[in-house]
Amino acid sequence: MTIRHFLGGLRVPHYKTFTEEKFIEAVAAPSELVIPLQQHIGAPCSALVEVGDTVQAGQKIGEPTGFVSAPVHASLSGRVSAVESRRTHSGQEALCVVIDVDSEQVPRRAPENRSSNLTREDIITAVRDAGVVGMGGAGFPTAVKLQPPADKPVDTVILNGCECEPYLTCDHRMMVEMPEQILQGASYIRQALDAETVLVCVEDNKKDAIDALRAKNTDQQTQILKVPTKYPQGAEKQLIKAATGREVPPQGLPFEVGVVVQNVGTAAAVCDAVEYGRPLLERVVTVTGQNLAEPKNLRIPIGTLLSHVIEQCGGMKENPAKVIVGGPMTGAAQADLSVPVTKAVTGITVLGPAMAVSDREYDHCVRCGRCVDKCPMLLYPNQISVFCEANLIERARQWNTMDCIECGICAFVCPAQRPIVRFVQEMKPQIQAAQRSS
Amino acid sequence: MKGDADLVVSSAPHLRDRQTVGLAMRDVFVALMPVTAVSIYYFHWNALFLISVCLLTAVLTEVLFRRMMKKEPTLYDWSAVLTGLFVAMLFPATTPWWKAALAVFIGVGFAKELAGGLGRNRFNPALFGLVALMLLAPLVALLDEQFASLYVSFGTVDVLTQATPLAMLHQGMEMPSYGRLLTAFPGGALGETSPLFLLIGAAYLFFRGHLNWRIPASILITVAALTTALGQNPIQHLLVGSLPLGAFFMATDWVTSPFTNKGKYVFGICIGIGVVMFRLGLSPTEGVAYSILIMNGFVPMIERWTLRPQFGRHSRSAVSAAER
Repeated sequence: MTIRHFLGGLRVPHYKTFTEEKFIEAVAAPSELVIPLQQHIGAPCSALVEVGDTVQAGQKIGEPTGFVSAPVHASLSGRVSAVESRRTHSGQEALCVVIDVDSEQVPRRAPENRSSNLTREDIITAVRDAGVVGMGGAGFPTAVKLQPPADKPVDTVILNGCECEPYLTCDHRMMVEMPEQILQGASYIRQALDAETVLVCVEDNKKDAIDALRAKNTDQQTQILKVPTKYPQGAEKQLIKAATGREVPPQGLPFEVGVVVQNVGTAAAVCDAVEYGRPLLERVVTVTGQNLAEPKNLRIPIGTLLSHVIEQCGGMKENPAKVIVGGPMTGAAQADLSVPVTKAVTGITVLGPAMAVSDREYDHCVRCGRCVDKCPMLLYPNQISVFCEANLIERARQWNTMDCIECGICAFVCPAQRPIVRFVQEMKPQIQAAQRSS
Repeated sequence: MKGDADLVVSSAPHLRDRQTVGLAMRDVFVALMPVTAVSIYYFHWNALFLISVCLLTAVLTEVLFRRMMKKEPTLYDWSAVLTGLFVAMLFPATTPWWKAALAVFIGVGFAKELAGGLGRNRFNPALFGLVALMLLAPLVALLDEQFASLYVSFGTVDVLTQATPLAMLHQGMEMPSYGRLLTAFPGGALGETSPLFLLIGAAYLFFRGHLNWRIPASILITVAALTTALGQNPIQHLLVGSLPLGAFFMATDWVTSPFTNKGKYVFGICIGIGVVMFRLGLSPTEGVAYSILIMNGFVPMIERWTLRPQFGRHSRSAVSAAER
């Protein structure tokens, strides 16, 4: 199997040593959960519970209101103390169910494996009912991805185990510790899509993960691929290009080239959902950074507040700090630690005074072209930044601002310190608004 | 840590590499030090005085113009002093100080600051200053008359009166050996003193990641090919005049060269053609300066012609940016 490269990209510092050899452990149960009813791309859920209701762990508390949506479950048992709008890590308000968690949790009884004679529909239904969404960060409802349009047959499933984002090791640890579950989940995904091949792609800096997967792989239709360590190798279009040589057209979805990409963590959740009917109640999160007393890979109930998680890792060492949900290249810095961990949170990165820099003053573009060389979407970030800065919406659209994947490489290399990603994030809604009104 | 956390919020990415405009410009300055040292070695105080005048004028001009526009001076980005040093490199050691100072003043003040500051200038400031003096010949003549008594000389140095290799080449005189041309044959502008020491600086820039090889390679290959085709000695042409300085240091200026890779080839080839045209047809001197400056003006057009298709598209017509 030849690995093709995508153009652009670069090696970024990894900082993965904090947690890459630490076993996944369960976090101590929090006393309160804040569970947003929208944790995915698509329509929000409507609340199924009211203040005062008691809820059991695994009970559905949010019902999807559209096709592109996923149900939400109570991660622990307790009593609903509020159903109200709260700020989430994306910075937006969302309706949340707040649960006072029972101090005594009834252990969930081990469900039986029901995996024999599954049909395609069984798998899709199980995945949808379990509320599985993309766990690599984007949070797209997985069941929707398992039902591509009939005229776009999918022949290849790519399992994304690249984890190219610095600091994060949750996918890495899952691949090392639970390769069978991931491979089994991948095979269900393949069956649901009626695809021929599964390519599990792992960056070559995670040798132990590759070995673990290869040792457990018994499926003829599944290959474990070692891909080069280069940021953003785990970006969907770049990974498809590297693994298959196919290029997804601009604004297009992977279906167009016969591919579906799923994160390795998603595959593990699919396995749980299909075999045991277990809803997605918790996820593995890398809690890390120079400024955290004890970095860990934690299994965290959905809805647990960041403050509780950080406390469970020994707290922060110094002020000022920067707490990032996700990794440092694409994650969002938080102003407030009372936001919950959702299904799409891959990591919590805590930087200390030396690295917790605020937005710097920036200069004019000096046209050095470093961003042009490195842009993995082959855009012209220099031009995009100039037109976004001047708020020239039509020009920004012409230079393909909408195709930017916000990987952050341009701003990473910019000698003039231009906040190119922020410019793009501010411009995209304006372009969309302009297109709607025309 | 107890109590409230003091949280810093900013936009992603939260990691940056260490490169800054100031560090890069400083590296270019450092890369010019070898040839600067050689010029001082040959021209003694004359060179040192000229360089000092240029650096001082650059700093004062930058501060003056930025103050006038109510902006903070940006001396930290090293671009003003770099322009000053470039202008000094473009003049012979005997140049009256007011001429060099005027070129720096025009380069830093008009070509850079009035254009909007570093990054907004379309023309290389140092070359603009140099060429502006030629266009302002009557003014320069007036200054020469008025300031003649203020001319500063540190006594003659043998090499000051030596014919420049470019003039010798033009007049068909017998040329020095390749070895001498490469290592050092002083006589012309300070920056023409030693191609070898320019190359050492260029190598430093290359390994620091600031020098894109495409522009110098296409200029030099074009000059070599055309002079060969026209029956000239290509090696002599490559080594004389301000071609080495221009190809490695001035045509490669980030701000005033194309940001597309294909565009860099087009830009370099056109400059190469220009240099040969000037040298063999039009004017024996300043061909490199004129060629680079003219091509600076075509940069936006070259970029538009040479845009690459974005990811997932294979034909250039599909690039919506080309609609402009």
